[in-house]
Amino acid sequence: MAETLDTFPRLLMHHAKVRPDRPAMREKALGIWQTWTWREIAEEVRLVACGLAAEGLTRGQHLALVGENRPRLYFAMAAAQSLGAIPVPLYQDAVAQEMVYVLRDAEVTHAITEDQEQVDKLLEILPECPKLAHIYYDDPRGLRSYAQPQLASYERLLERGRDYGAEHPGFFEAEVAKGAAEDTAAMHYTSGTTAHPKGVVLTYRNLIECGRNAAQMEGLTDREDVLAYLPLAWIGQNIFSYTQWLVAGFCVNCPESPETVMTDLREIAPTYYFAPPRVLEALLTQVTIRMEDAARIKRWMYGYFMGVARRVGGRILDGKPVGVADRLLYWLGDLLVYGPLRNVLGMSRVRVAYTAGEAIGPDLFTFYRSIGINMKQLYGSTETSVFVCIQPNGQIKPDTVGPPAPGVEVKVTDVGEILIRSPGLFREYYKNPQATAEAKTPDGWFRTGDAGYFDQDGHLKILDRAKDVGKLVDGTLFAPKYLENKLKFFPYVKEAVAFGDGRAMVCCMINIDFEAVGNWAERRNLAYSGYADLASRPEVYGLVRDCVEKVNADLAADPKLANSQIHRFLILHKELDADDEELTRTRKVRRGFIGDKFGVLVEALYSGRKEQFIETKVRFEDGRTGSISATLRIEDAKTFAPAAAKRAA
Amino acid sequence: MRADATAQQGAGGGTAPATGAARAVGAPILVVEGVSLAFGGVKALQGVSFDVREHEIRAIIGPNGAGKSSMLNVINGVYHPQEGTITFKGRSRHDMVVHEAAAQGIGRTFQNIALFRGMTVLDNIMTGRNLKIRSTFLEQALWIGRAKREELEHRRKVEEIIDFLEIQHIRKTPVGRLPYGLQKRVELARALAMEPELLLLDEPMAGMNLEEKQDMCRFVLDVNEQFGTTIVLIEHDMGVVMDISDRVVVLDYGRKIADGTPDEVRANQAVIDAYLGVAH
Amino acid sequence: MAGPVSFFFEVLFSGLLAGVMYSLVALGFVLIYKASGVFNFAQGAMVFFAALTFVSLVERGVNFWLAMAITLAVMILLGILTERVVLRPLINQPPITLFMATIGLTFFLEGLSQGIWGAQPHGLDIGIRDEPMEWLADRTGMFLSQFDLFASGIAAVLVTVLALFFQRTRIGRALRAVADDHQAALAVGIPLKHIWAIVWAVAGFVALVAGLLWGARTGVQYALTFVALKALPVLILGGFESIAGAIVGGLIIGASEKLAEVYLGPYVGGGIESWFPYVLALAFLLFRPEGLFGEKHIDRV
Repeated sequence: MAETLDTFPRLLMHHAKVRPDRPAMREKALGIWQTWTWREIAEEVRLVACGLAAEGLTRGQHLALVGENRPRLYFAMAAAQSLGAIPVPLYQDAVAQEMVYVLRDAEVTHAITEDQEQVDKLLEILPECPKLAHIYYDDPRGLRSYAQPQLASYERLLERGRDYGAEHPGFFEAEVAKGAAEDTAAMHYTSGTTAHPKGVVLTYRNLIECGRNAAQMEGLTDREDVLAYLPLAWIGQNIFSYTQWLVAGFCVNCPESPETVMTDLREIAPTYYFAPPRVLEALLTQVTIRMEDAARIKRWMYGYFMGVARRVGGRILDGKPVGVADRLLYWLGDLLVYGPLRNVLGMSRVRVAYTAGEAIGPDLFTFYRSIGINMKQLYGSTETSVFVCIQPNGQIKPDTVGPPAPGVEVKVTDVGEILIRSPGLFREYYKNPQATAEAKTPDGWFRTGDAGYFDQDGHLKILDRAKDVGKLVDGTLFAPKYLENKLKFFPYVKEAVAFGDGRAMVCCMINIDFEAVGNWAERRNLAYSGYADLASRPEVYGLVRDCVEKVNADLAADPKLANSQIHRFLILHKELDADDEELTRTRKVRRGFIGDKFGVLVEALYSGRKEQFIETKVRFEDGRTGSISATLRIEDAKTFAPAAAKRAA
Repeated sequence: MRADATAQQGAGGGTAPATGAARAVGAPILVVEGVSLAFGGVKALQGVSFDVREHEIRAIIGPNGAGKSSMLNVINGVYHPQEGTITFKGRSRHDMVVHEAAAQGIGRTFQNIALFRGMTVLDNIMTGRNLKIRSTFLEQALWIGRAKREELEHRRKVEEIIDFLEIQHIRKTPVGRLPYGLQKRVELARALAMEPELLLLDEPMAGMNLEEKQDMCRFVLDVNEQFGTTIVLIEHDMGVVMDISDRVVVLDYGRKIADGTPDEVRANQAVIDAYLGVAH
Repeated sequence: MAGPVSFFFEVLFSGLLAGVMYSLVALGFVLIYKASGVFNFAQGAMVFFAALTFVSLVERGVNFWLAMAITLAVMILLGILTERVVLRPLINQPPITLFMATIGLTFFLEGLSQGIWGAQPHGLDIGIRDEPMEWLADRTGMFLSQFDLFASGIAAVLVTVLALFFQRTRIGRALRAVADDHQAALAVGIPLKHIWAIVWAVAGFVALVAGLLWGARTGVQYALTFVALKALPVLILGGFESIAGAIVGGLIIGASEKLAEVYLGPYVGGGIESWFPYVLALAFLLFRPEGLFGEKHIDRV
């Protein structure tokens, strides 16, 4: 049979043949970047696959992957697929109990873990997951004295594979040959904001076609460098660091540890980069803090040239006409500010950068574009193999996500919901025909649950989750995420939760950014003992009030949203945390849950009270629970009459 | 407190500690006999005797001013006791100097952190390798032959320790800029770089929050298990130490008032009195 | 060719070269300050002592190189003795006590050297003339002293050797460690006292080099101890703890005092050279007290 590159294992074998000695993956270990070539990886994957087969993993079974981005987890993924088994990556920072559901739902029999931490979790829930019979670990540290029969090291797995491969020559190749484009390639669980997570079944055709189309559109080659730093369980990580890795044959780099990502990013300087808005936000916050601490001349230079960049940077990147004087200034700014800044951000070589996952603040987005980084928005979801809309080069608008990607059909229903049909559309939710039927129409359209519309240029504009867009009692549109994002663009605001649906006015709960506000406080010699103390300071309230009022001034300028200005706000005494279920694992705020959990606060916001006592249960990292209590101040914010704001602006 | 409590195997039969480390506690490596130390008229230690066995974690606890730090300083030669002997690895000594103690395989950390604040984390840890450098002066200066090879080896060893203590992200950070908890970890890293047989930890958890304390406990246990290092640590707070120690010496007003397993010590009336502040 | 521009550069370069001579003295201070936190007032006396010992040996018919070797041995011995006799008994005393001790050492050294070798000034010839280089003058129109160029060459070699010593060798690293924290250095097995002895010996070596060059230029006489005073503004400018600072500080002081003398001198009646560096240093104290290359001490609790 002629070679058709329609499964991942076949793609891997193809690269091992075509570019055997090109670097395929790197990992920083003991301070040095270690490189694997395509040939080496193909060989290792063969061993792991044989090992897994020897340990009883068969076609159609599920292999759980638990850990950070480690090359061996990627190898295991390819190995499982070679056997026709299905990799199921889990969120590595989930607590043990959260893993039970997925492990049981997918009837996982084998798991590959990163280290002791993950092994401990799986051992803890072993009694609840009777089918889980084999757990392998990458890093043996601290595991020497573990004697559970289920447990074995990755090295042991390789050994088993070596023996098995020797006993069964041709086994691996035969297994790879059995794979077909319509087979399940991977299963990613959606982080459900409300119900149990659902396993999204994606086929090779889904992922490969989608990845290939996008790669062609962006002109990706085998010379790209990518840093794999987001959770494996997230579909984007699969697309950018696995699917497109195998489609284009470039090099994926694994950071040394989650804490070193910034350093590693700088060292690798990826050419193809993805970051969700919260990462971009954190980066910008760091830059802002550093600039505030910098010498006066540096601060002035930064301020001046960022002004130039805001004015012409985006236009220059889009190839639009710009005056000679501005061009010259921008060139100088590039030399003095933007270039060094890109270098610090690790984006000096970036050709294509995407952001997606949630709406990005327009100011945040234009910041990156203005300093010459080709940052583009992307719209998609697990169910659509990520790519639905991509902003094409030169046609970037901060408030839309661009036209549909190649091969994708998008339509908007009468009630404003976005529907999608594409080659990347998932086959089904695993063992959940009812949910599948709800999400997919009989003629193959996927209901995204997002509300939005096409603008006059055919670019899709996303407003919010369809179910979250509400109305104030006076009928004004209330798009909470839009407001929250506006607040979160301020470096001092980490999270915001807006309330207002069915109410007379909009109120807001705010999480300050501990690092940024802490720094701010230190510079003012403001002593504080911890997060809760800092958050309760009148000075900090003043700081946050300024942010809220600036947002209000902005909103006043938009006739559709002018009435959804924020009237009252409070600063929460604890940081919203995924462990306390206030955020999803992808760090989206769960507005409904928070509204219930902090019901007394919502009540206090709307009843006009000046302060409110609250006691909250928290869960510590080791799984213990405790409670913290505080009396929170509630403050009013100035709002603006639409006309007045227009004159001011 | 660790999930592997059920998983121990071959941990040396009856001497196996409740902490579940897979190591065999051996013969005494350090013997302290009848040590008395006075500063002027103040008696810091009075006839203290105890031993430390190879591969064990030995805690010295006691209320503030009980003489714990003095004891540690006697062991590594900062103070010279007026009476008594210290026998380390079978060799008795009276006047040992601090840097000789280091050369014999005694590493230590300090209660108030003694790091090279102007240097990076990496350079700090590298100083721990100083005693292990064998190449000659000239080779080092010209960066030839042995010196280069040696340097790379030391660097590798140091990287292993960095990996072990999970401080990769601060490798190039000047120590003076780090928060307290991380500085403590760097100090431990530097002591480990010396590959000591006996590690003295002076209040390793003092001033830490709960999470940092737990991290430090984990590292102490891991060091003990992975490298087989004998550890003597002092603490004034009984809590954490009891969970990770094999045996505990209790000092009060410069005298030993109890010595035994954590359970024995916990049940000892004199200890309870000392901690509750009952008058003598 | 010999226009105002070329004249400017001539002044600048001769200033820079003179600055190198200051740097040489400052280097001795930096070494000891770095390692033991002591401001060694005796550095000037050591320069004098080294130069006098050398020149006296040569005058008594000892071969040039042999005299150098003997003087070096004497300086190293002096360094070790200083650590033994002066510093060790004062261990853990406040810096001011140590400083006073070095003042005492200064008088002792001055007395000792004049007691042994007599008080009369000596000329010192190391075979390099303090004359303009014709080759350079022909080509560029700048008159630069052959001797100054030679001195700079020596200084460059010395600095390279010291840098290699500090960066690469075990002793050099130990030295940096000792400079940073005594307790920590002891804990990693660095013998403090040996290190100090080594530093004093190295400082003695640097004093010898400085003494020979300065002695050759100004004659070996008691006034040589005062070159230490010239090093002071260099140290303030460059920072007490930085070898690079000592070099750059010396260059700046040398260049600025010559330029000031030539271009400002006529307006204020000349003689600027003798006080200008101190004014510059004072100004520096106001704006950057830690010096150009000094470490900013941030105390965090």
